[in-house]
Amino acid sequence: MTDPRPVPVPAASSAPYWEGAAQGRLLLPFCSDCARHFFYPRAWCPVCMGRNLVWREASGRGTVHTFSVVHAAPAVGFEGQVPYVIAVIDLAEGPRMMANLVNCAPEAARVGLPVRVVFEQRGEMRVPQFTPADGY
Amino acid sequence: MRNSPAIAAAFEMTPGRYPEHTTLGLYRDVLSQALREWHVRPGQLDGLLIPPADMAADRPDVLMHERFIDELGIRSVLSETMFAGGASYALMVQRAALAIADGRAEAVLCAGAGKFPKLDLDTRRSMSKIFQPQFELPYGPTIPAMYALLATRHMAEYGTTAEQFAAVAVAARRWAMRHPQALMRPRGEIDVAAVLASPMVASPFHMLDCSVPCEGGGAILVTSGEVARRICAQPAYVRGMGEFHSHGYQSQADEFGVSIGAREAGRQAFRTSGLTPGDIDVVEIYDAFSAMPLICLEDLGFCGKGKGGALVESGAILPGGELPLNTYGGLMSFGHVGDASGLSMIVEGARQVMGVAGERQVASAATALVHCYGGMQADHGTLILAREA
Repeated sequence: MTDPRPVPVPAASSAPYWEGAAQGRLLLPFCSDCARHFFYPRAWCPVCMGRNLVWREASGRGTVHTFSVVHAAPAVGFEGQVPYVIAVIDLAEGPRMMANLVNCAPEAARVGLPVRVVFEQRGEMRVPQFTPADGY
Repeated sequence: MRNSPAIAAAFEMTPGRYPEHTTLGLYRDVLSQALREWHVRPGQLDGLLIPPADMAADRPDVLMHERFIDELGIRSVLSETMFAGGASYALMVQRAALAIADGRAEAVLCAGAGKFPKLDLDTRRSMSKIFQPQFELPYGPTIPAMYALLATRHMAEYGTTAEQFAAVAVAARRWAMRHPQALMRPRGEIDVAAVLASPMVASPFHMLDCSVPCEGGGAILVTSGEVARRICAQPAYVRGMGEFHSHGYQSQADEFGVSIGAREAGRQAFRTSGLTPGDIDVVEIYDAFSAMPLICLEDLGFCGKGKGGALVESGAILPGGELPLNTYGGLMSFGHVGDASGLSMIVEGARQVMGVAGERQVASAATALVHCYGGMQADHGTLILAREA
């Protein structure tokens, strides 16, 4: 049976992000004018609106900023995933991004948990996800 | 403010199920019942503010004020179909009050009706438009889970407990027991143990930490002080107003243990009113989930940051307490009427200040603060209502 979960549709401004993910690389947009990463990818830097954007590969390391374990009324396509963990990750590079905690018992989820990126097949795409870092 | 803008009248349908009505049918009930109850004719109105209908549907109806100024036969100087989620109505009152203060309008009707949609597959799909399509939606976000992100962070930062969130739901039910229209009144009181024993929806929220979906609607009449004094014995003057929009998508919030919007909109409302949290007698805060009033109480300045858990546990928010909160039962026990959910707390704040809250009237209620948010915490509106202009 095919995976019923939503498959992201890249936009022009995010295509490199999803191409990177397909190769197992987490690429973050970096504004050359303000010398900082941001998330999520968009056509301009949300601080200075500059368009001198480059893509930089992230370390893939981060910590859990906050999370919730979905037990009931799951999102469309996630009916078979319950219970699943929605988390906001503080990336080592600074920005925050949403992901699921995968290969992690829901009761092991906690704020501050060190995590690393993994890539999950979703249709023809691969979606960045996070899993407890080695040693945890 | 010039011309002393005030809420002159407030009306609310009994929340429940109205299978005989479409949403537009509910609107017609609200408008006709409200004007009849207030003894106001459409010709006395010069403005109509109203939200789009059926926002959760694939195609919401956005031609609302045009339809209803026509059906009511109003010739208006101020009309708009405006939407900022649960904050829509707080912002409508502000838009009306400013036009009245400016001398451009005298009597503006703000109305809303809603059906909390049945969560079938199509509705769940169309509701997912509130999530960022590439960077949230692939992770299975739900509305409870997205709000739970704030609660989890608050627990980690300040040691707040599930019992303290539950205390907000318990207090809401206690107040609902004193409101004849409250949806959950027939279910009786609940305690913290009952909240914690109800099924987990999205941690840390149990079912009884969540608002109760239903159908209904209401209306508020904002007029000049002079007109208000002809319509009612004690108007609820609009003393302070604040608005803030903190982020678009929940994952983009700058902070999670905080309601930035409550902090900023609240600060503006206190500044414009010249009042401080110590001057407020009654507080009404949009309570889609139990954690939100607790967090907003802190950010509005009713206690120090991180002290909201102790405050709600102290009993201060209960009937007879020092800081009566959601004195009508809130969305958790009065009912969450879909797109019209942001009206009920304004109706109640006004009724408390007008002294017409019946069994649940707070004796000393000379001032009320109402805080509403919507759009996954993106939109915030704060009102301070008072017996004196």
